[in-house]
This record gives sequence, structure tokens and C-alpha cells, in this order.
Amino acid sequence: MSGAGAGPTWAELWANLAIFKDAIWVGGLAGALLGAIGVHVVLRRMVFASSAIAQAAALGVALSFWIAALVDPTGHAAGHAAGPAAHVAPSLLFEPVLWAIAASLLATLVFVANPVHLHLTRESLLGFVFLASGAGAVIVGDKITQEAHDLAAILFGSAVVVQHSDLVLVASATVVLLGGHLVLWRALLFAGYDPMGARVQGMPVRPLNTFLFLSVGLSVALCTRALGALPVFAFSVLPAMTALALTARIGLVFVLATLLGAVSGVGGYMVSFKGDLPVGATQTATAAALLTAALVWRFARARYERRARTSN
Amino acid sequence: MRLAPGERLLSTDGLLVGYDGAAILPPLTMTIGAGELWAVIGPNGSGKSTFLRTALGLVPPVGGKVERRAALRLAYVPQQATLDTIFPISVVDFVLMGLQGASNVTLLSRGANLARAQAALDEAGARALERRQLRDLSGGQRQRVLVARALATDADLIFLDEPTNALDAAAEHQVLELIERLRAKRGAAVVMVTHLVEDGLERADRALLLDRDHGVALSSTAAGMHALPEFVHIYGRFIGRGEATP
Repeated sequence: MSGAGAGPTWAELWANLAIFKDAIWVGGLAGALLGAIGVHVVLRRMVFASSAIAQAAALGVALSFWIAALVDPTGHAAGHAAGPAAHVAPSLLFEPVLWAIAASLLATLVFVANPVHLHLTRESLLGFVFLASGAGAVIVGDKITQEAHDLAAILFGSAVVVQHSDLVLVASATVVLLGGHLVLWRALLFAGYDPMGARVQGMPVRPLNTFLFLSVGLSVALCTRALGALPVFAFSVLPAMTALALTARIGLVFVLATLLGAVSGVGGYMVSFKGDLPVGATQTATAAALLTAALVWRFARARYERRARTSN
Repeated sequence: MRLAPGERLLSTDGLLVGYDGAAILPPLTMTIGAGELWAVIGPNGSGKSTFLRTALGLVPPVGGKVERRAALRLAYVPQQATLDTIFPISVVDFVLMGLQGASNVTLLSRGANLARAQAALDEAGARALERRQLRDLSGGQRQRVLVARALATDADLIFLDEPTNALDAAAEHQVLELIERLRAKRGAAVVMVTHLVEDGLERADRALLLDRDHGVALSSTAAGMHALPEFVHIYGRFIGRGEATP
């Protein structure tokens, strides 16, 4: 969705809903899933991990294109010709989503690892993953001119339509992972807030953390393949921040973050359609606008309460 | 159920604590009985935290052994500074964490457990704070809530890490009174890691002196601690001239 002139109308969106509905669903589901998981990401101060994992997932997709072209050039060319709107992998081995998941889980391992013996911090290793993945994706992208557009869509989230298989994967992940988080939200909170107290009381802190990191890695990988790294990073950080700015009731924070993520995903798509703008950028901007409004409201409320206190 | 006074809850036999396979303190043999109040004292960096983690079963001993009574229920009250204030945790939600554990990981039925959490808050004199955010409370109020969580666990043995750290005199007195009530009413044993040597020894039945630099790991009655040459060597010049905090 780009170009000059008068923007499309809502009637046009409605008339072409069959084309766009998968992308709208993916935006909403990914926003909800990442919004809910993002509360743990923000509270545990692992925001940078989410960014690095998304970047690694993008590199994984780029590698799936490039290695397929190197190993099986005939099949790769046929796959490309068969899918003009979206790349078709020559075999399951080169399925981009599998490469995205593998790269994400590798990046997640870096987060789980404790690099203290290397005299390094976890943040510095994540910086390494982010930079190496970003540079790698650009370098690999330069080698695969046929899929350059696909790769740009994955890095910046400019894809207008998504493959139906991506919708199926994101929807399945949303049901399974969001269901798991719904059951375990108090346990994950305890394990993150007071890990030593939780372990003393017999809580399975390590399995809980493994579930959290795996769910971050998987959801980021699947959503990055469908939407792109930029909106995925935005959804895993901004809705949670907005919810935390709006309320201090922890249960409500999770509900709000889930809803705000979904609103950012769907609303951002609508803004993109109406304004004829890149989708990933408008989804990110929508989430950022909601956070800005929440921060302004909170600032105004704090000021009002301060004045009320001093006048009494 | 109230424990029989003196019932053996946790004992160590030639326990060596440390990390990476290296002991940092001499071997330690001691027994913690029901209803006892222990003060674990020692200068900064003396090995108190390493002993605490080993006794709690969070890190394995380098040598020797730790024996816990079967089905021993443990609780840990962390230092306030270790709780990240970015988390929006209400007082009642914090106390509810005390009801989570191996047999109740998810705590999905909050309603059923609410009454127990509120009873613990009542006992700690913190019921009025129920809906407040833990991060918004004063140091003394927050410490009472931390102890309330230990009360909610109904633990047999409670470890407190610097429970009076950064409290003013009045709040410190309240918290120490609450700890006294904790063991008197329930018969639980309490192990308090503290840098307030004189206060700790005054209230405790037993004491454990640790000092990595001087190679000291000694347990004794609290009253008898002052007579130990090692104690005099470490704290002698401070005792009687205000609080002992080398």
C-alpha cells in the first residue's frame, strides 16, 4: 500500500476484504499474543531480547531463501515462479518459517545462557545477536535479488497480504501459547519477581522460565515470518508498556496488553489501508500512539492528584 | 499444626558451603529445632548469603550434608531491595504468592485462597494495606507484608534475609516483635540473617557466627556468643559502642 493521490475508501476495503482478511487476522492475533507475553518481557527487563530474536528470525528467513538457491537452484526458481506474490519453498527443508524458528530458538539460547564465565553480560551478547543478525540479513538479502521484496517485507513488515499458512500457524500459536500463559501467568510472575522465594516454596522456576523463553522465541519467529521484525518487536513491548502506564492491577495489565496488542495490529492495518502507508510501520506507529496517549493521561492524572493533595 | 518445641527441623553435619567446588568457610555442624530463633551474624562478604542458599537447598553443599525433616515446609523472606519495583504487585497478590508451591503452581482459584492471605495480613497487622501496591509502602510496612507472606505459607522453618535493613528504630522494633510472635504462636523456627549483631543476639536463642576472612563458622547459644574469642576478635571493638557493624 504505497503511492500518491487520494487514499482508498473503507468501501474498497470492505469490497476486497477476502484479499485482506488473513492479514488483518494475523495482525490482530499476533498483537494479542505478543501483547500478553510482552508483559513478562517488559517486567523482566528483556526488551532487547525480543528485538534480537526478531532480527534473528528475519535472518533465518533470508538464509532459507539463499541456501535453497545455492543447494537447489532449479527447484528454487520453480518455487519462485509458482508464487509470484509470496515465495514458495522448493521443499519442507527450505520452509522459511522453520528457519525462522530455528534461528529464533538459537537466539533464545543465547538469552538463557549465563555468559558470566566469559566476563560478558547477557545484554552484550544480545547486542551481538542483534547486530550480527541484522548485518547478516542485509548481506544475504543482497545475494537474493529475486526475494529482495520478500526480505524487505520481513525486516520492516511491509507485507500487505500474508499467506494463509501463516495465518494458520499464528492462530495455532496464539491458541496454544496464550492458553499456556493464561494458566501460568501467576506462576510466571512469581518466578520472575522473586525467583529465590519461588524456588524455596517448590515452584518449578527453571521449567517455567524455559516455557517463557520458548514461547517468546516461537511467537516472535512465527509472527516475524508473517508480519516482519519491526511490528513484532513493537507488539512485544509497546502494548505491555501502555497497559502498565494505565493500571497497576497486574491481572488487568495482562488483559489490557492483550487487547491493546490486537487493536494495534488491526488498527495499524486500517491506518495503512486508509493512508496508503507501509503496514508494519503503521502498526508500530499505532502501538506507539496508544502508549503516548497513555503516558500523557498518566502524567496529567499524577499532576491532578498532586494538586488535589496540596490543596487539601 | 503446632510443632513440638525443639523438634529437629534441619541439621548440618560437617557442612561445607562455597561455590565452584571450593569451600569458603570451615565445616559447620548445627541443629535447628522447632520454636528456636537463630541469628546468623557476620561482616559483609562473610558467607552469610552462601550459607543461606545452601541451607535453603538452592545450591548444593561443597561437602558434608544437610538433613531436613521429612515434608519440612520452608519459607524465605527476601531482602526488600531484591524485589524489583517495576512490578505492579499489590499487597494481597504478594501474600497470595506464599500459597503457591509444588502442589499449587498456578493458583488459578484466587478466591479460595484469599481468606488465608487476608488472615496472614491480619496476623501481621497489615490488613489495611491489602489493596496498596507493595512498592508504594514504607520500609516498615513492606517488611510486615513480607513476613505476612511467610505466615501464609504456614512454614515450619522461616529464613529472613536482613529483615531490619534500612528501617528506622520504630519500624525495626515492630518487625522484630512480629518475628517473635511468628515463632511463639506457631512454634516455627526462625533463622534471621542480620547485620544488627547486638539486636540479633539479644532476641535470638542461638547464633551462628560466620566470617570468611577469619575462617570462622561457629554456632553457640546467643548468650554464649559474647564469650567466644572469635566473636570478640571480630566484634569486640564495636560492642558497647553502638551497633556492631564492621
